[in-house]
Amino acid sequence: MRSFRHPVCFLHCGILPFHNAKLMRVALFVTCLVDLMRPSVGFAAIRLLEAAGCEVVVPETQTCCGQPAFNSGDRRAALALAKKTIAECEGFDYVVAPSGSCADQIRSEYPGLFVDEPEWRRRAKALAARTWELTSFLADVLKVDTVPGEFAGSVTYHDSCTGLRSLGIKQQPRRLLGLVAGLKLKEMPESEACCGFGGTFAVKFGDISAAIAEKKCINAQAAQAGAVVGGDLGCLLNIEGKLRRMGDETTRVLHVAEVLAGVLPNPDGKAG
Amino acid sequence: MRSQAMFFQRRAGEALADPRLQKNFAGLKDKFVGMRARAVANYENDFEELRDAGQAIRDRVIDNLDVWLELFEEKATARGATVLWARDGSEICEHVIAIAQRHGVTKVTKSKSMLSEEAQLNAALAAAGIQPVETDLGEYILQIADNEPPSHIIAPAAHKNLDEVADLFAATHQQPRKTEIPALTREAREVLREHFLSADMGISGGNFLIAETGSVVLVTNEGNGRMVTTLPKVHVVITGIEKIVPTLADFATLMRLLPRSATGQEISNYVSVCTGTKGEADADGPEHTYFVLVDNGRAGLVGSEFQAMLRCIRCGACMNHCPVYQTVGGHAYGWVYPGPMGAVLTSLYTGIENALDLPHASTLCNQCGVVCPVKIPLPELLRKLRERQTERGLRPWSERLALSVWSRLAQRPALYALATKLGVRYLNWLASGRDRIAVLGVAPGWTAGRDFPAPQGRTFKELYSSRQEQKA
Repeated sequence: MRSFRHPVCFLHCGILPFHNAKLMRVALFVTCLVDLMRPSVGFAAIRLLEAAGCEVVVPETQTCCGQPAFNSGDRRAALALAKKTIAECEGFDYVVAPSGSCADQIRSEYPGLFVDEPEWRRRAKALAARTWELTSFLADVLKVDTVPGEFAGSVTYHDSCTGLRSLGIKQQPRRLLGLVAGLKLKEMPESEACCGFGGTFAVKFGDISAAIAEKKCINAQAAQAGAVVGGDLGCLLNIEGKLRRMGDETTRVLHVAEVLAGVLPNPDGKAG
Repeated sequence: MRSQAMFFQRRAGEALADPRLQKNFAGLKDKFVGMRARAVANYENDFEELRDAGQAIRDRVIDNLDVWLELFEEKATARGATVLWARDGSEICEHVIAIAQRHGVTKVTKSKSMLSEEAQLNAALAAAGIQPVETDLGEYILQIADNEPPSHIIAPAAHKNLDEVADLFAATHQQPRKTEIPALTREAREVLREHFLSADMGISGGNFLIAETGSVVLVTNEGNGRMVTTLPKVHVVITGIEKIVPTLADFATLMRLLPRSATGQEISNYVSVCTGTKGEADADGPEHTYFVLVDNGRAGLVGSEFQAMLRCIRCGACMNHCPVYQTVGGHAYGWVYPGPMGAVLTSLYTGIENALDLPHASTLCNQCGVVCPVKIPLPELLRKLRERQTERGLRPWSERLALSVWSRLAQRPALYALATKLGVRYLNWLASGRDRIAVLGVAPGWTAGRDFPAPQGRTFKELYSSRQEQKA
């Protein structure tokens, strides 16, 4: 009953301390980009986790993990948001995010933020150990062998940098996509190359970022797949925006959770 | 070299708009990335263990740099060399010019030395009436191209293609224009041979200094390094104080890493270990050997949060694998060292305030970090530089304001929910029914080169709480 040990979280999240002990209680860290831009990814993640037998809770007060501040060199803001996120999410068996980048912020960066605060550092480490990116949680922790989604067509997978190089996410999404009825995976050249997003980099150095994105899009198109799929919304927005500007109106750009869950946005981009 | 790092944005934009440069960069990337990947795959043992070993050697040196330097000085002196110390670029120039004048030198041949770029040595030599001749093919091409700066640390003329070199050679050598690489290199050899035979002094860099023997190691592919270090009567080595390795065995370990990481070779065409001056039994070699060991900001990194940068063995793998370097090339970075290592070094050696864009000109994809042979955490160092910029108030006010507003909002969930709700509606209004936004006023950098996909309509939180209400 972690909630008892952390009354702050108990209050913030409104979680009942008594729950079905058989279910794994998983907090969904929605991520700020999904919240703002693409809610269907959040609902897809809930569907996948529930289908795998988890009790999913969405901590109500969550906002952002603080990575934009951290990567911009604003350590103070990053620290404040880390404390907020830790307090909100530590009362669960696991925390899962549909993003390698946000999951890695919690897993790899939070503990190092607390240099002079040993108690916070302990809590950060404890949370880090329970935090997972969605596809690695499904594949490595839950070891699922079925997924709800169906997909008639081919997809190509873009490996997002942080998930790939910091969390080792490579085979997990591919194995899960292999479970989707009807789906054919076609690898693109240089699937591990950065798409040029880089968070605020995409705005500060828009011309360089767009030029890198163009290379990614040319590689993605070379796969001749119906959709580009990835695990991080930032990369996907970048790739979709560049494909459309290049005049590609047909290649869909989808989050891996949407494909696995069969929760696809309508072709006009609205939540399905 | 005077830093132009403050003009990164403009110089990057010029590189992006130059189709010939873009083509040269693409070819370069395919070559370097592919060659390293094959070399790592073909390595007989675990390359990751080798990287660990490389890091350990470099850390052992840098943790006790003063001790190893003293040992090196003692050993090198015992073999007849003279060890000089230079605090900065102007002291490098003073030492080198004084040595040249002492020995009546009017022409020097140079093998590649990035330190001489830090010091703007060629200009200083010329001003002192001493002719410097670059003999590394890439450096030679740049010298006859009106002293262009290098764009890559191991392939200095990487930004030039065959046609450009053919034009340069024809114009400079007054010979019929050649278009085959062997013919061009033969022509360069013929020109350089005269210089090798007539120079009184050779200047080289150093890939490693070996403490236990007092030797300098040169790792080259063209053989010019041997000519520079053995033909003239005076040999001057200019290198950074961090280039020390304790023993020959340590050097052997690092030699397994360096060529594989740099050019994908198991070993370079030439590896020269030069120790002391010409002995009585030696057929050739310099009568006088000088080491100019340079600080120029390095000692200040020892014990700092940037100490790991001193591990660098200058292979160039970080830039070869960097999506930003691959797209804008080396000149955009504006000083001696480009790419991720250059962004860190330029900030640290020329002043954080003189290279504001460089630490931010990275997607933090960590491709550099995973290929670095001595495991320098380059993205982490770039982020620390960003932190130092923030602490010193060096970021533009617009960026500080945006970050501050956003982070205050993100710490207040109710306000954040309201702001995002309104933000999404604003974006949808901009999209006006389409699935994308072509011009985004709040982030013009984004939409200059690509569209911004429209949000789905409502925030996840709105949709989720209404679904929860329906359930209840």
